[in-house]
Amino acid sequence: MIEVLWHGRGGQGAFTAARLLGAAAALAPGTHALAFPSFGPERRGAPMRAFTKLSDAPVGDRSAINQADFVVYLDQTLFAQGWERELKPGGRALVNTTHSFDDPRILSLDASGLSLEVLGRDIPNTVFLGALAVLCEGLQPDQAKEAVRQYMAPKLHDANLRIIDRVVAQLVQGEAAAPATGAAPAEVGKASNCEAGTPAAGLEALDQPQPPANRRIPTLRTPPADHAVYARNTCWDAGHLVTKNAGWRTQCPVIDPAACTGCLKCYMDCPDGTIYKVKAATSVTPTGGGEAAGVEKSTPNAGTPIAIDYDFCKGCGMCVRACRFGALSMIPEGGQA
Amino acid sequence: MLRFLSGDEALAEGVRLAKPQVISAYPITPQTVVVERLSEMVEAGTLDAEYLHVESEHSALSAAMGASATGVRTFTATSSQGLLYMAEVLTYAAGGRFPIVMMNANRSTALPWNIYGDQRDSLALLDHGWIQAYVENAQEALDMALMAYAIAENPQVSTPFMVNLDGFALTHTYESVDIPTPEQADEFLPPFETANKFDFAHPVNMGYTAGPEHNTYYKYWAHQDMLDAASVITQVEARFAQVMGRTYPGMVEAYRCEDATRVVVTLGSAAGLVRSVVDALRAQGEAIGLLKLRYMRPFPGAQIAAALAGVHAVAVLEKDISFGAEGTVATNVNSALHQAGVRVPTYNFVGGLGGADISPDQVKDMFAALENPAGLPLVTFLGVPEEGRC
Amino acid sequence: MAITAKTISDNELFFGHKACAGCGGSLAVRHALKVFGENTVCALPAGCMSAVGFVFPQLCFANNAMITPFAATASVLSGIRAGLKVQGLDPAEYPVVGFAGDGGTADIGIQALSGAIDRNDDIIYVCYDNEAYMNTGVQKSSLTPFGAKTTTTPSGKNVHGCLTQKKNMFEIVAAHGISYAATASVGYLPDFLKKLEKAANVRGTRYLHVLAPCPTGWGYPVDETADIAKEVVDCGLWYLAEYENGQFRLTRNPAEFTSVEHYLRRQARFRGVDEADVAAIVAGRDAKWERMRAEWGN
Repeated sequence: MIEVLWHGRGGQGAFTAARLLGAAAALAPGTHALAFPSFGPERRGAPMRAFTKLSDAPVGDRSAINQADFVVYLDQTLFAQGWERELKPGGRALVNTTHSFDDPRILSLDASGLSLEVLGRDIPNTVFLGALAVLCEGLQPDQAKEAVRQYMAPKLHDANLRIIDRVVAQLVQGEAAAPATGAAPAEVGKASNCEAGTPAAGLEALDQPQPPANRRIPTLRTPPADHAVYARNTCWDAGHLVTKNAGWRTQCPVIDPAACTGCLKCYMDCPDGTIYKVKAATSVTPTGGGEAAGVEKSTPNAGTPIAIDYDFCKGCGMCVRACRFGALSMIPEGGQA
Repeated sequence: MLRFLSGDEALAEGVRLAKPQVISAYPITPQTVVVERLSEMVEAGTLDAEYLHVESEHSALSAAMGASATGVRTFTATSSQGLLYMAEVLTYAAGGRFPIVMMNANRSTALPWNIYGDQRDSLALLDHGWIQAYVENAQEALDMALMAYAIAENPQVSTPFMVNLDGFALTHTYESVDIPTPEQADEFLPPFETANKFDFAHPVNMGYTAGPEHNTYYKYWAHQDMLDAASVITQVEARFAQVMGRTYPGMVEAYRCEDATRVVVTLGSAAGLVRSVVDALRAQGEAIGLLKLRYMRPFPGAQIAAALAGVHAVAVLEKDISFGAEGTVATNVNSALHQAGVRVPTYNFVGGLGGADISPDQVKDMFAALENPAGLPLVTFLGVPEEGRC
Repeated sequence: MAITAKTISDNELFFGHKACAGCGGSLAVRHALKVFGENTVCALPAGCMSAVGFVFPQLCFANNAMITPFAATASVLSGIRAGLKVQGLDPAEYPVVGFAGDGGTADIGIQALSGAIDRNDDIIYVCYDNEAYMNTGVQKSSLTPFGAKTTTTPSGKNVHGCLTQKKNMFEIVAAHGISYAATASVGYLPDFLKKLEKAANVRGTRYLHVLAPCPTGWGYPVDETADIAKEVVDCGLWYLAEYENGQFRLTRNPAEFTSVEHYLRRQARFRGVDEADVAAIVAGRDAKWERMRAEWGN
């Protein structure tokens, strides 16, 4: 049995690739495959998982894969600490990144680069389909291409077939995906650009500006543990949060305090309520490396009437669009500005 | 105070004494008398409740649930297709652990359309998480209305309660009923208090989603707490006897079963009929008895097994058939006997469908058949000669 | 005094939810709760906002809130209100508010809603209209507009998406003689806030129908929600109106409309409509506005 665990974001095509991989394998007589998504309440942009199981016997186990032969990361922001725990012994992680790693278990592929080049859009899923067609024992690249022909819309065939050819050639010839930078996985996965309203990477986090006192808002708390207490009815503390939404972002908004007029249009248009009015009569002074980094004294949010809660911002960009003064812009999430 | 009342009226008197604060209901025969009487009581001021005239049974129970979520005592009533129409709300109310009390007038289910009594409506919904009680007469209907609140609202139980009355045979049949005084009722049933409600000092979210990692725990506790309701039922009946001077025998009533070799198991108003036949045949020296099931959920499996251990043959008489299997009461009884290792042959008699009478002679025939049960089919439809034996 | 960005409550009562990035529905709920306040009791049927907001132990309403059966938003609201009433809690202080989607309102929930309006129960019903069953993956509802592709109204050579017109919920509700009803759009927040505030101060049943675009189901970039919600009003395919004291009133009566075609073409769901379809949509718009302007007197 070969088990593949796919990590992606809703809308990136992780499940499509999981399904195509299963379909490709099942083209061979005597090969059985299952493909299924994780079924959760999260929506587009949220991290999600999909699964493919390939076997020479019927697959009866329809449960989620916790340890896989191949773990695919369609989005490098999902590649984070603890990734090894999802690998079987001898397993490999396939990561969509331009970094490469000093770890033979990690295979870097610039899948976004390749799909942008060929498709003109960042839909990296079939890059990994092609890669797995090479890496999975018993699977031929032609099967992956046939799966694309049978299960994708005709207008998508040409580009995706070319993508598979390209990635197959690259892997067969053993080309490195990108020059080695020696980055550690945790660094790649870290959303380092969007700390505390800093406008660019490289700044130390400033003290997060304070929201108005006494506002009522759901807050992060400890997950309830005792089912003999919580499962006796469906009645629990209002506004009880246990997870952030920061992991949804691929881009994040930053505020240019010099341009902000305080019109609050961004605050009004935010569907997640993650832009807040900064507590009045508080002057936020920079701490840490603001000056050292060569930023002038009016650091981000110092005197700016709004700030962004990056724990819950999903990076939709509605605030940027709302701003008529160019005081907000989106920057990429993660280590590559 | 003794009054000559129908089952519906007696039930309504019980509800009045229980003082629900919100009533929401939609009329359906043969439940209508209940909601008419309650409306009159509200108009007259003898019942201080908010009465919602909803546009369907689905809304009736939904509104009761919304009211219950504010922490007030609620009541609704329905029957047959109405019960089935609100079926999805039954699982909401049960899963939310809202101790709503609902009267159901047991009535046939379509098609063919029929307004008369049988128990196919409520028995189809045994798995929906409600306590289900079946009463035998108008007095028990009134008393059960009061006890239902005491049981359902017990913090350890906190589960909705369905009081079932056979359509027409109970709902529209008049008999003498002793109505407790308001003082007695107040002494027996304290005001409703719960923590399972909206709270403006410490707001709550209610009735939410729980994914695969949590869901089983909710179902586990709903099951466990329903099982544990059995002991609460015993306590509540003891207290009822203390205050009202009327005793009830627990989840089953084993009537003259001590040395019986043949027993008919049944529920609802048919128990009264079987009881009278037992008395008549006992007078002729026959060793027979009645086992009346007062509750279907929680299911009194252990009590049934205890009562039937040593019996030679058992008939399960019910107004239900699960097509392609047997009557659901029979299935439940058989499971309880099997689990307890009680090896007694059981035979299922299905009668009273769509309001058909069950006659004393039919019950006598049933006891007679149990004497030499060899060759008796597993399911017999009363009133269908020859072909009725399946 | 009108609520503005400066004066609106700092409370975020709907926060931390799992709605799609750029969700118009969550924007509508967020502002409604800011206006109605922290003593609001809200109820939501099956639908996007309950599915993304109520997943134990991630509970995203900071106020009292509960889930209802799909068809039962209004009847649960009625029950809650009755329960608060018998406890002597003032409806002006403790608003009881429902948030249901277009399917939960105009399809499966319309019976219970009609019942509640008929009783004139003191509740507020907010329909966030994203024009299809988005929670289940974009299926047609009776508020899906003509020409829109959904997963159950595919757009192909033979059929160009949804064949029916958007059900006229606003006037259906008004025909009950409701205390207050209004339409709104998350693209016109000041208008929406004004109507929320008005609704909060009227007694009896109140209905707000707010158009709330869905980037996932409509097929447009996630940052364009407010834009689209504005353009649908500007091009005349949605309208801002009120009904109170038995009278209809347009709260926005554009001197001229922007291009319907532009509005349609920026959304993937209308990709199948041809020129004739566009002409039919424009004609339908014009007929509706002619009637509204004639009958509603402004």
